[in-house]
This record gives sequence, structure tokens and C-alpha cells, in this order.
Amino acid sequence: MTTAATTRSAPSHLTRLKRRTGGGEALVGFLLLGMLVFIAAGAPWIAPHDPEAIATGRVLGPPDLGHLFGSDALGRDVFSRVLYAFRVSLSVAIGSVILAALIGVPIGLIAGYRGGRVDAMLMRPLDLLLALPALLLAIALIAIIGPGALTVLVAAALIYVPILARVVRGSVMVTKQMPYVDAARARGVAERSVMIRHVLPNSVGPALIQGTVLMGFAIQIEAALSFLGLGAQPPTPSLGVMLSDGRDVLTQAPWVEIFPGLAIAVTVLALTLVGDGLRRQLDPRGMAR
Amino acid sequence: MSPRLRYVVHRLLATVPILLAMSLFVFLMIRLVPGDPVRTMLGFRATDENVATIRTALGLDQPLLDQYLSWLGGLMRLDLGQDFISKVPLTELLSERLPVTLELTFLAMGLALAIGIPAGVIAATRSKRTGRASTAFVVASISIPDFWLGIMLVLLFAGTFRLLPPSGYTPFAEDPVANLRYMILPILTLAVAEAAYILRTTRGAMEETLGTPFITFLRARGISERRIVYQHALRSAAVPIVTVVGIQLGVLLGGAIVVESLFALPGVGRMIVTGINQRNYPVVQAGVLAVATLFILLNLVTDLLYGALDPRLAEADA
Repeated sequence: MTTAATTRSAPSHLTRLKRRTGGGEALVGFLLLGMLVFIAAGAPWIAPHDPEAIATGRVLGPPDLGHLFGSDALGRDVFSRVLYAFRVSLSVAIGSVILAALIGVPIGLIAGYRGGRVDAMLMRPLDLLLALPALLLAIALIAIIGPGALTVLVAAALIYVPILARVVRGSVMVTKQMPYVDAARARGVAERSVMIRHVLPNSVGPALIQGTVLMGFAIQIEAALSFLGLGAQPPTPSLGVMLSDGRDVLTQAPWVEIFPGLAIAVTVLALTLVGDGLRRQLDPRGMAR
Repeated sequence: MSPRLRYVVHRLLATVPILLAMSLFVFLMIRLVPGDPVRTMLGFRATDENVATIRTALGLDQPLLDQYLSWLGGLMRLDLGQDFISKVPLTELLSERLPVTLELTFLAMGLALAIGIPAGVIAATRSKRTGRASTAFVVASISIPDFWLGIMLVLLFAGTFRLLPPSGYTPFAEDPVANLRYMILPILTLAVAEAAYILRTTRGAMEETLGTPFITFLRARGISERRIVYQHALRSAAVPIVTVVGIQLGVLLGGAIVVESLFALPGVGRMIVTGINQRNYPVVQAGVLAVATLFILLNLVTDLLYGALDPRLAEADA
């Protein structure tokens, strides 16, 4: 019997927080994401200037204390414009994933739980949606409905429904084998109740992870579509449109191009880190893509 | 019939309904436009007379099923109609523009594989610091919007250093060197993000294999480390790499559309975008049809490759 017992001090608050969020990088991701959401929500109060205020005296001015990201071809403050545009992009990204989840999660739940014919009937049409490359499908939908930020939101949501449905279906198929599901059924709980109260909460992990990944994609898709002129239309501000406009003054005033792009990159980075952290916590078996 | 052959046939047959469903969607596109598509297309020239003439010319006054069947018949004869504005036959337009998109997509994927696989091997086998650096590279590449990277590359190579042209195109057949000079920035733009995914996949698969007892056994037997890495570990990465390539092909095609617009390359993607802005629906339809068909066929090829690489998958599916 050993007498020299090793004493370890209780884990520090930071270590505990790191473990809860799935790793140090994920914690950074969460904090960053929180900050970004806060900035997006508070844009009207944080922005130092009116994003539309034309100031001919400051055309293509470099970044300085009053204008953190410099000024564009019309003398408008790039920092304020990025804030407002970022708000739109983030709203579209979050909105599209929420909409996709509202439709896709129930479909995946029912398909995975019922199986058989119901499963095939529900998933087949969704698989057809996956037969087109995502951006192409979005572009085709915009060709039909017409450009705009809302169309981008709907188009992205449509693309994501089959992905989320598949992920939920996969984890539901695993969860429904669990003993506590059988126990609930044996107790006489109604099927619908079993689905909603027992299976669903335990299956959403991978979907949550997939959701953060999809949000990252959504921001990029929205930017790409707006860049092509198919997304948010003036006067709605958009990072993609800023990136397109910035090309005209690329060599004279690179900051007009650099900062909107950085805004996108940082957001996607935050979402990726959060997604990886969630993956480590909720889905070590890798059911999400 | 051997299970492998059954898998091939199965997969080929499965492609037909997908192609049909896609063609139905593309066919319906013009008819789903809210309002009257012909009026939208004609714009200010939309007198009642013109609208009626165009509608008949496009066959839009026929019953829906007849329209679809005659459209399908046209597809079989490779007749897709004409560009609404320029009256150029669409098959001709596509035959000019498709090679550009194909060159861009294939060379980008090729470059991505050429960079990503060796980088993945290095990341899996060298020090921890290399591993961390490669993770940083992967995360950064995935986060940056690819067209923004393209613009930055233009700033660097065309603006500051004046090494390469910022836009333009020469067909390969005319002048291979000029063609590559124009294509290298677009290809690089797309290849970086793809290389990141391939790096991550290669590295992950190899790290997993290198940790197995089998590898320890090989080392104990004195097999050289080099052979272990390249012959055994890398082979295990083949299937995941093919998977990732298959998944990323769609992303790559989408990216190609944006990159074509960015670098003013005369490809199908740019044709679609211009078509939308001009309300030139026949062109948009033809372009979407072409890219979607390409995507479905490429997926078929990767699935068949899959079956060839790992016969277990072929058996499980059949």
C-alpha cells in the first residue's frame, strides 16, 4: 500500500472552462463569436460615423484614429460601413441556418425514427436537392425569384435542409436504439412524446455542430452572391458588395478591400473554432460532416 | 454478376433519375419566375404582340408536358435553343465556354491534390510544431473567402509586382503559355482552400493509421519508415481523400463561378451570372444544366473510383 499519495490541486476556473467548451481554441472561438454578435447587434451605437455619409474631402483616406479602416471612394467611413454590412451578413447566416433547422430537424427526426417507407419518402426528394452544387442551386433560385438578401437567406436555407435532415436522421437512428427509449415505450409513453422528449434532445448534438459549420458557409455564400451582384441590393449594405467595389481602388486604397474580407474571415474562423470545440464535446464519434 | 460489377451497374442506373430530376428542375426554372417571364425578358420592348410572338417561339404556349418532352428531345439532339439576346445557338456558346470552366476546375483540383497530399504527409509525420503550423494554415484557408484571396493575389502579383495579368484569357490551343499566365491566379485562388481540406483529410487518415498496432508490428519487423509511411499509411488515406474530393467538387464548381467573374474568364459560370443580370433565361438554363450535369457525372466517377478502391463498399451497396 503506497503512502505517498499524489495530491493534485483542484483544476483552475480557466481549465474547467476550457474543458467545458471543448478546448482552448474553442473558448477563444466562443468569446470571439460572442463579441462579434454583440458588435453586430450594437452597430448603430458603435459606429462612429454614418455609413452613408459622403465626404468628398476624405476620398480614399488611409486608416487613422477617426476612421479606423480608412475611407472609400466616396469618403465614407469604411469601419462604419463594415459594421452595418456585417450585421446584414450575420443576420442572413443565422437566419438561414435557423430556417433550415426548423424544416430539416423535424424531417430528419421523423425519417430516422420511423424508418422504412417514411424514411425513403422523406429523404429522397431532399437528396435530389443535394444533386446540385450549393452555390449553383442558390444562383438558380436567385435567377427565378430575383436578387436580394432575403432570397439569399431562403436559398441558403433550402440548401441546408437536406444536410441538417441527414445529420439528425443519422443520430436519431443511433439514439432510438438506446435502452431508455425502450424503457419509455414500455412505460406506455406515446410515440410522439418519445420522439420529442426522449430521442430529440439526445440527437441534436451533431446537428448543432453542423449548424455552426453551415453558418460559416452561409456567410461566405452571402458574400459571394452579393459580390456577383445577386445578393443584397443597394441600399442594403453588404460585405460582398464592398468587396466588389473595393476592386476599383485596389492599388490606391487597399484597405477598402482588405477590411471587409477580414471581417468575413474572422467570423468564419470563430464559427470554425466553436464548431470544432462542440465536436469534441458532443460528437466524438463524428456523425456530423 | 460479381458484386463489383453489380455496384457499377447500380450506380450508373441510379444516375439516370438524378439527371432527369435535375433536367426537370432546370426546365421548370423559366416557368417558375413570378409574373410573366417573357415580359421580364423583353423589358421595355414588351408590347402584347412581341410577348405573344416570343412566347410561341419559346414554345411556352404549349401544354407543360409537351414542352418538357420537346425540350428533352432537343437535348438529345444537342439543341438547347438560342441565346435570347444574341441569337447565338446555346450549344455553340457552351462548347466555347465549357472548356474554360473545365480547365479551371480540373487544374485547381489537380494543384490542390499536388499540394495537399504531400503537405498532409509532412504534417502527419514531422514534429508537433509542423502539425500546429499546418492546422493554423488549414483553419486560415478555410475561413478566408476564396474570391477575397483572389483579389489579394491580384493585388500582390498584378498590382505590386506586375508579374501576372489581373484578368483576361487566351485559349490553350492558341497559346499555351499565355493561357497559363492568365489561368494561374484563378487556379491558385481555388486551389488554396481545396488544398487545405485535402491536407486535413490526408493528415487525419495517416495519423490514425500510424497509431495502429499494425504499424508498430511493421516497425518491429524492420520495415523502413519510408515504406511504412508511403506504402501503408498513405494508402489508407486514399478512400477519405476520394471522399473529400467528391464532396468538394460541388464547392469547387461554385467557387469557379465566382472566380470566373472575378478574373473575367469566359467560362460557363460567368455566362450564367451575366445571363441573370440580363434576364436572359435560356442562357441561364443552359448554363445551369451544363454545370449540374458536369457535377453529377463527376460524382458518378468518384463513386466508381470509390468502389474500385475499396471493394467492401461495393459489396455493402449491392
